[in-house]
Amino acid sequence: MLAAEGLVKTYGRLRALDEFTLHVTAGEIAGLVGPNGAGKTTFVEVVTGLIRPDAGSVTVGGIDALKQPRAVRELLGVCPQETALYPSVTVAEHLRLFGGLAGLRRAALRQAAGEIAELMQLTDVLGKPAGLLSGGQRKRTQAATALVAPRPLLLLDEPTVGADPLTRTALLGVITARAAAGAAVVYTTHYLPELAELGATIAVARAGRVAARGSQAELGLDGLFPAEPRDADDAA
Amino acid sequence: MTLPEAAGWPGPPGRWAGAGRVAILVRHNLALFLREPGPLLSRLVQPVFLMLLMRPLYVAALARYGVEAGTSQVVTGMLVLFSLLALSVVGGAIMAERAWRTWDRLRATPARAGELLAGKAIPVFVLLAAQQVVVMSFGAVVFGLHVRSVALVAAAVGCWALALLGLGTLFGATLRSQSELQVAYDIGGVLLSALGGAMVPLTTLPGWAQAIAPVSPAYWAMAALRSALLGQAGPTLRAAAVLLAVAAATGTLAAWRISRGWARSRLL
Repeated sequence: MLAAEGLVKTYGRLRALDEFTLHVTAGEIAGLVGPNGAGKTTFVEVVTGLIRPDAGSVTVGGIDALKQPRAVRELLGVCPQETALYPSVTVAEHLRLFGGLAGLRRAALRQAAGEIAELMQLTDVLGKPAGLLSGGQRKRTQAATALVAPRPLLLLDEPTVGADPLTRTALLGVITARAAAGAAVVYTTHYLPELAELGATIAVARAGRVAARGSQAELGLDGLFPAEPRDADDAA
Repeated sequence: MTLPEAAGWPGPPGRWAGAGRVAILVRHNLALFLREPGPLLSRLVQPVFLMLLMRPLYVAALARYGVEAGTSQVVTGMLVLFSLLALSVVGGAIMAERAWRTWDRLRATPARAGELLAGKAIPVFVLLAAQQVVVMSFGAVVFGLHVRSVALVAAAVGCWALALLGLGTLFGATLRSQSELQVAYDIGGVLLSALGGAMVPLTTLPGWAQAIAPVSPAYWAMAALRSALLGQAGPTLRAAAVLLAVAAATGTLAAWRISRGWARSRLL
């Protein structure tokens, strides 16, 4: 579903991406981990078409993302790292806006918005402006706008940073379900236990390239990061 | 590799998908404006109030040209001054998208750059044109301003609104903060208005100011509106053409900067 080959992106002397290569198949959740500055967010922005790489190629579902970025965006659900919502716009309006821009209309839009609101536990705050939401509600709303329309490739950039356990549980549940339905997922995170919970394959990014790639067992991570303790810690 | 055969994936976009997205964005942006109506209301109330106060002064200053000249000057002058100040509404709308980081989110959707700009521009154009229509109508109803050609006035108002839209978008996409934007509008708006003859009649400006007045878009707006009120098609259309050129140049530059990612949130 996603094939990125030899991506290079430089900012002056900084090589944000340095021969970055990553393949993700349909139904796979690929956890992209690595320190800050490893190139995770830059990679997501290149696939989204927000920035152009200096070299390399990206295809999504067989479509060249550099030559046809808009066609590729028809296939993407994108949740950026930083919360980006309109303070005076309600949760329901956010879902209708992003669902509508993704191509959903009328009854299909209402149904999709209602379903994702329920899954992300936002039903009680649908009429509330984003500026009045709690941090966790904002995180869930942001993720819901990325997930409101079914998409074959989901790009989720550290969606649980600063999130409460409720948000994390809801989000991981939806992502697992979407992958089970055939979506490919790129999930950047610093939290390995989340990847264990998602049953994700792992790509370790370092200095702008994927330094290691494989299943958790192949990378020797099996059992090192059990899923439950993270939520338990957070809850405490 | 091709898309998997799975239920629910998006099919190819329909023929009218772009128009549908623009309609969604127009509705969304209009709602954003109407939820924060303060800046726009102040740009409506101030010119009307100032016209009431200052008309006698302008009529006296231009007494040798007749009462209508003074009335025309105060109405078109206040219209141009406060529509230039309303640029802050346009640029502020784009700057807010950058500050909220929602612009990048919109850019990550299937909407084309042109659709995003149209969705932003159409409500702003309507609001800017509405502001001018209110001021002009007030002048006609309360002061008896004689409008000899409604069609020419509509053309002048439309072209000026487009020029304002281009300028405001360029500022919003170029400047780096709300305070920079405010300074640009406060100083730029007042200077351009004064230089264009919106505050005091052009004939009373110093010679050097009269010589450089045509560099101000306000000069052409004043020329277009004054000529339109007098029903003079040639001068109105010439000045309107200059305003359209300003709109095209600034709009193109703004769209180019935005498409190159120079208006991205992280640059704020």
